[in-house]
Amino acid sequence: MVNKDDLLRVLGPKIRRKVEKPGRLYFEVADEDLTEVAVYLFQTMGCRLSTATAMETYHGLEVLYHFSHDATGWYYCPRVVIPDKVHPRVTSIAPVIRGAEWIEREMAEFWGITFEGHPRPERLLSKDHPQRLDKPYRFRRVS
Amino acid sequence: MTKTVVPIGPFHPLLEEAESFTLKVDGETVVDVDLDIGWLHRGHEYLSEGRTFTQAIYLVERICGICSTSHPLACVHAIEDVDHIEIPERAAYIRTLIGELERIHSHLLWLGLAGHFIGYDTVWMWAWKWREPVLQIFEQISGNRNHYGMMRVGGVARDINTDDIPGLQKALNEMESKLGMIAKAVPDDPVLKSRLKGVGILSKEAAVDFCAVGPTARASGVPIDVRKDEPKDAYGWVDFQAIVLPNGDVYDKLVLRVLETLESIKIVRQCLEKLKAPSGPILNNVKEIGIGEGIGRYEAPRGEVFHYIRTDGTNRAIRHKVRAPSYVNIPTFAASCKGIPVADALITLASVDPCYCCTERAIRIMTPDNNRLDLDLLRLSREKTERLRRNIHG
Repeated sequence: MVNKDDLLRVLGPKIRRKVEKPGRLYFEVADEDLTEVAVYLFQTMGCRLSTATAMETYHGLEVLYHFSHDATGWYYCPRVVIPDKVHPRVTSIAPVIRGAEWIEREMAEFWGITFEGHPRPERLLSKDHPQRLDKPYRFRRVS
Repeated sequence: MTKTVVPIGPFHPLLEEAESFTLKVDGETVVDVDLDIGWLHRGHEYLSEGRTFTQAIYLVERICGICSTSHPLACVHAIEDVDHIEIPERAAYIRTLIGELERIHSHLLWLGLAGHFIGYDTVWMWAWKWREPVLQIFEQISGNRNHYGMMRVGGVARDINTDDIPGLQKALNEMESKLGMIAKAVPDDPVLKSRLKGVGILSKEAAVDFCAVGPTARASGVPIDVRKDEPKDAYGWVDFQAIVLPNGDVYDKLVLRVLETLESIKIVRQCLEKLKAPSGPILNNVKEIGIGEGIGRYEAPRGEVFHYIRTDGTNRAIRHKVRAPSYVNIPTFAASCKGIPVADALITLASVDPCYCCTERAIRIMTPDNNRLDLDLLRLSREKTERLRRNIHG
């Protein structure tokens, strides 16, 4: 069974800052490596995409994917930091993992992030809203 | 051939909550389904980020009316994961007990609704009749039928009185015989079999691709169960089986839920045995949560509930992400509804158990001359709890 050591060995050059805790591995990857990392986690390791979290940090916007490795109970969380807060863009993983479709649409709607290559880039929660805003719903400190 | 569009919702008798499904139908066959959510968006994540951890636990308990202990349990797991906070053994058993009782009542609720949706109201009446004792057990333990308010960071809020346990075991025994009867009758019922077998099949590949969780995935042969994969609380100490069935149709989802109910009773019984021991600590005093991030999850009746918390050393989260199981299970309709007759679409939509709120409980008391008597509901509720407690003491 492919485990954490294999992940670190195969994807080692692509993994930047990492934080390891019991049963959890959070690591930063570049946007251009995200699809490859996601494919490795989903197809080779057999992880399940639980969800993704977008948030604002001092360094920019951050998209954190949560992959659950159910065979071992571990969580692998690759994160992409987007320094451009005005026009944030990140590569979509929905073309390779169908379960990412809704959460990426939601993050696009709330944080104004453009997911490039998303098969259906439309709003998820406020598609038919009579008074919808044409800006991200979550407050962002754009400076 | 021209395709017809059949809209279901956002406000529809089938759906007690607002969701919109657009079925594209070719003759009698569904060829495509489009889902539209967002009618109930309440902004819980944002609300939670402005509140202290203790307040956030109360808030997330209000996300769902049925699995109202799954969200707080996943939330406290996430907060405890930031600093690796341990909980007392007794608290672990109480958490597991509450979680499993909730699974029993939630599965029985779904069983009743499924029977009702296919026009088989006998199933509905029996299932809901035997759901009632579970709610009464909850009322004895926590003072409330739903929204138990038991979870705290570092343990649980209330202890279970050791004197109550023989009464609870007796209630459990009565319930088990009836649930055993349902478990024998339902899978063998010719009406249910002919109506549900082979309907709304979700293949294993589709379940993996859509990242489905809980009974939706397990009925398609995907062996995932948070209770086994990452056993928290007392799940590592109790003996139970994770049920996995191969076919992925509505019938397998039904049988799986019925069998899980029996497993839950097994777990509850083991927890009660352990709780018979003299009362010990139930809450560790947690003074502060450090800087960091934590993931908490729990196997709710519908599947994995996921909470992510990021903290900055204060008493509130700077980011709180919540993912309920229906969020990943509802998109599977796109796979399970294609190619089935339109009449089967409704039970297929209901088969993943999208969350219905059931907490509203109205009491209307009529005097003998048929006038409504206005009484304080809170006082009535407390009196009933006291009455139940007196009854179990004999």
